[in-house]
Amino acid sequence: MIEIIFESIPSFWPEITLSLTFVISMIVEFIVGGKGKKSTGMTTGLIVLLGFTVTILQMPFQDLEPRLLFGTMITLDPFAAFFKYLIVAAGIIVIVFSMQSHEVRRQETVGEFFCFIAAMTFGMFLMAGASNLLMIYLSIELVSLSSYILAGFSKKLKRSGEAALKYVLFGGAASGVMLYGMSLLYGLTGALDIYSIQSTLAAGMVVDVHDWSFVVLMLSIIMILVGFGYKISAVPFHFWTPDVYEGAPVSVTAYLSVASKAAGFAVMVRFFYVAFFDSVLDLGKWGSLPLVDWNMIIALLSVLTMTLGNVVAIWQDNLKRMLAYSSIAHAGYIMMGLVVMSDLGLTAMLAYFVIYFFMNLGAFYIVMSVADRIGSEHIDDYRGLGKRAPVIGVGFSIFLVSLTGLPPLAGFIGKWMLFSAVIEAHYIWLAVIGVLNSAISLYYYARVFRNMYLREPLNGDESPITFSPLVIVITILFIIPNIIFGVYFGPLISYAQRSVELFLQ
Amino acid sequence: MIESYIPILLIIGIAVIFGVVSINLSWLLGPQRPYREKHSTYESGVDPVSTAHYRFSVKYYMVALSFIVFDIEVVFMYPWAVQFRELGWTGFVVMSVFIVVLAVGFIYELKKGALQWD
Amino acid sequence: MSSELIVFLILAAVGVLSGILMITRPNPVNSALFLILNFMALAGLYITLHAQFVAIIQILVYAGAIMVLVLFVIMLLNLEDEEPLREQMSKRHYGSLLVALLALVLIVQVIGWNSGGTLETMREQSPHALRIGTVEHIGSVLFTEHVYPFELTSILLLAAIVGAIVMAKKRFP
Repeated sequence: MIEIIFESIPSFWPEITLSLTFVISMIVEFIVGGKGKKSTGMTTGLIVLLGFTVTILQMPFQDLEPRLLFGTMITLDPFAAFFKYLIVAAGIIVIVFSMQSHEVRRQETVGEFFCFIAAMTFGMFLMAGASNLLMIYLSIELVSLSSYILAGFSKKLKRSGEAALKYVLFGGAASGVMLYGMSLLYGLTGALDIYSIQSTLAAGMVVDVHDWSFVVLMLSIIMILVGFGYKISAVPFHFWTPDVYEGAPVSVTAYLSVASKAAGFAVMVRFFYVAFFDSVLDLGKWGSLPLVDWNMIIALLSVLTMTLGNVVAIWQDNLKRMLAYSSIAHAGYIMMGLVVMSDLGLTAMLAYFVIYFFMNLGAFYIVMSVADRIGSEHIDDYRGLGKRAPVIGVGFSIFLVSLTGLPPLAGFIGKWMLFSAVIEAHYIWLAVIGVLNSAISLYYYARVFRNMYLREPLNGDESPITFSPLVIVITILFIIPNIIFGVYFGPLISYAQRSVELFLQ
Repeated sequence: MIESYIPILLIIGIAVIFGVVSINLSWLLGPQRPYREKHSTYESGVDPVSTAHYRFSVKYYMVALSFIVFDIEVVFMYPWAVQFRELGWTGFVVMSVFIVVLAVGFIYELKKGALQWD
Repeated sequence: MSSELIVFLILAAVGVLSGILMITRPNPVNSALFLILNFMALAGLYITLHAQFVAIIQILVYAGAIMVLVLFVIMLLNLEDEEPLREQMSKRHYGSLLVALLALVLIVQVIGWNSGGTLETMREQSPHALRIGTVEHIGSVLFTEHVYPFELTSILLLAAIVGAIVMAKKRFP
């Protein structure tokens, strides 16, 4: 047994670095900010940043030959590595955001804030590779626990407390249901790792379609889907999203909307793809689960998710809340890639995540910087912003146009790939609904443009708002990939194609 | 199999019987001469000021939470202690890592004054 | 009737009764005490299923530590007037009732479907299954096969401790 541990550790350095980052940052925090000393939290923040940088530097040296670590606990393959890059890059960016954010810095426990970002990133790394029901559950719990605390971080704000409470209640219920589903699945198959579950189900010995065992299997899958659906905030498990996104500090919201969602999709795809697909013979069909058309169920969930997100976003006046509903809608778009779990669908999904990363983090960064300067996230306070702060105005417009999915920006490429993947699988109606939804989203994004450029400021104050050069530079750094990936997307797509390789037994 | 639990059942039975009997016995044997003062809540001979229901401080809650976390830590130690010889040095290292990580949490509590009462 | 069946029936009756009493008592402290009784009955059931370790944990952690927490929360909230907690049956409760009934039907069916596998047949088929729940067996599996999830638990617990302090402590030095 000990040999397996020693064999696994060399392939496991990024995760080990991250867990050490969490523990060491905690030690640094209580040394720097111990009894009678006031911690500014910046030392801890820098330690975490250093840990993340070391992690991302280790990753290119990893041998990505698909294999299992620690028995069957964790899988290492290009698919997991793709999500790990995305997650740790988002982690670094969120730490840089948080170090600037007044919302975070005026808290007493800034140091712990960074520790929890480290814990959450570690959890999401494990989610990206988890191939055992036990690991899936534990990693999701680690991520959830950290995000509950981060969501309620502005303790003195009522809406932050409300966010944390709603998140805890909803998350607890969802993970309880998921755990019950997992226990049913374990009871049926007698296996915890998804590869044995697949082989047991494929052998057809334990589950009989004419029997109650089939109903139990369906029930367990639906229950597990509840847990995943909550993590990616798919309808009808999205209720926590608007309140949590509004109440949490903006940098946390940005992290939740990009990395947490990506990790949720990663674990969901791995679980369903490995356990329930006869991937070799019949691509895109849920081989081990006859009778029910799961592709159709996922398609309907996707339609519900994007439509609800887009339609409700129209009425939102708080930009954070609007972006929250917009991120629900984007989860719906990304689910289109899951409808057909062919290589094409998954490639489109992965490429979309990279693009979503740049456009969504950019949009949240603008909301955060503007809130730091003018103290408001209300849409009316954005009136005249285009003239008062030109770079910020242009940047925000670019991010929102990209989120809408209009050419020539990156968002268009992402949507175009998703739509072509579903059209190829003959779900033309789904693509049509997706396009209609993009049109709806244009309406509420356009409200922001109108306020920024066409309307006078509320109190007639037309004096320019100055932002620090750092804010301008970061905004421009986010604008560049949004434009580049819109016209030069070849490398992105080929990288996504190479990353669709999942470990199968 | 189930027969080996008979002693535990006996202890539970004795505990229940002892509780029920001793409470009712004092009620049966003791003289009953109630008056108003006797029925009032005992508060060191002074008239009771308010109800017994009052809001507990959140500090108790923090103590309870720390207790649970370290209780769970101890739970993991039972199987290790039972299999100590078989697991050997591997088990020792595995358990050491576990305890060191939780010790960080404990020192954090001490340093941040989470166990101080003021 | 075998002795096991008698034990099971007693424990099941205690479990169901204490469960019903728990949700119907107006006083939350009484409910908490009945929940402890319910946990005890469950622990007994685990023993009849040869899950000795889980049974002990059920008493140590759930009936012990978790119930301390539950009682503290009840006292923290200071529910003096219990009346507002009482609810009447309304339309949305009928929905919940329907779901509960469906779950019941499902459970009954699943048990019926699996009725072949009683403890006796399990014993005959695999004598090994009898000692799967002992502390020794859990120790030998937990620290070898499941060593990584075990270590991850420590990180999870660390995050839980610090998170509780960050959330509950009013002033930091």
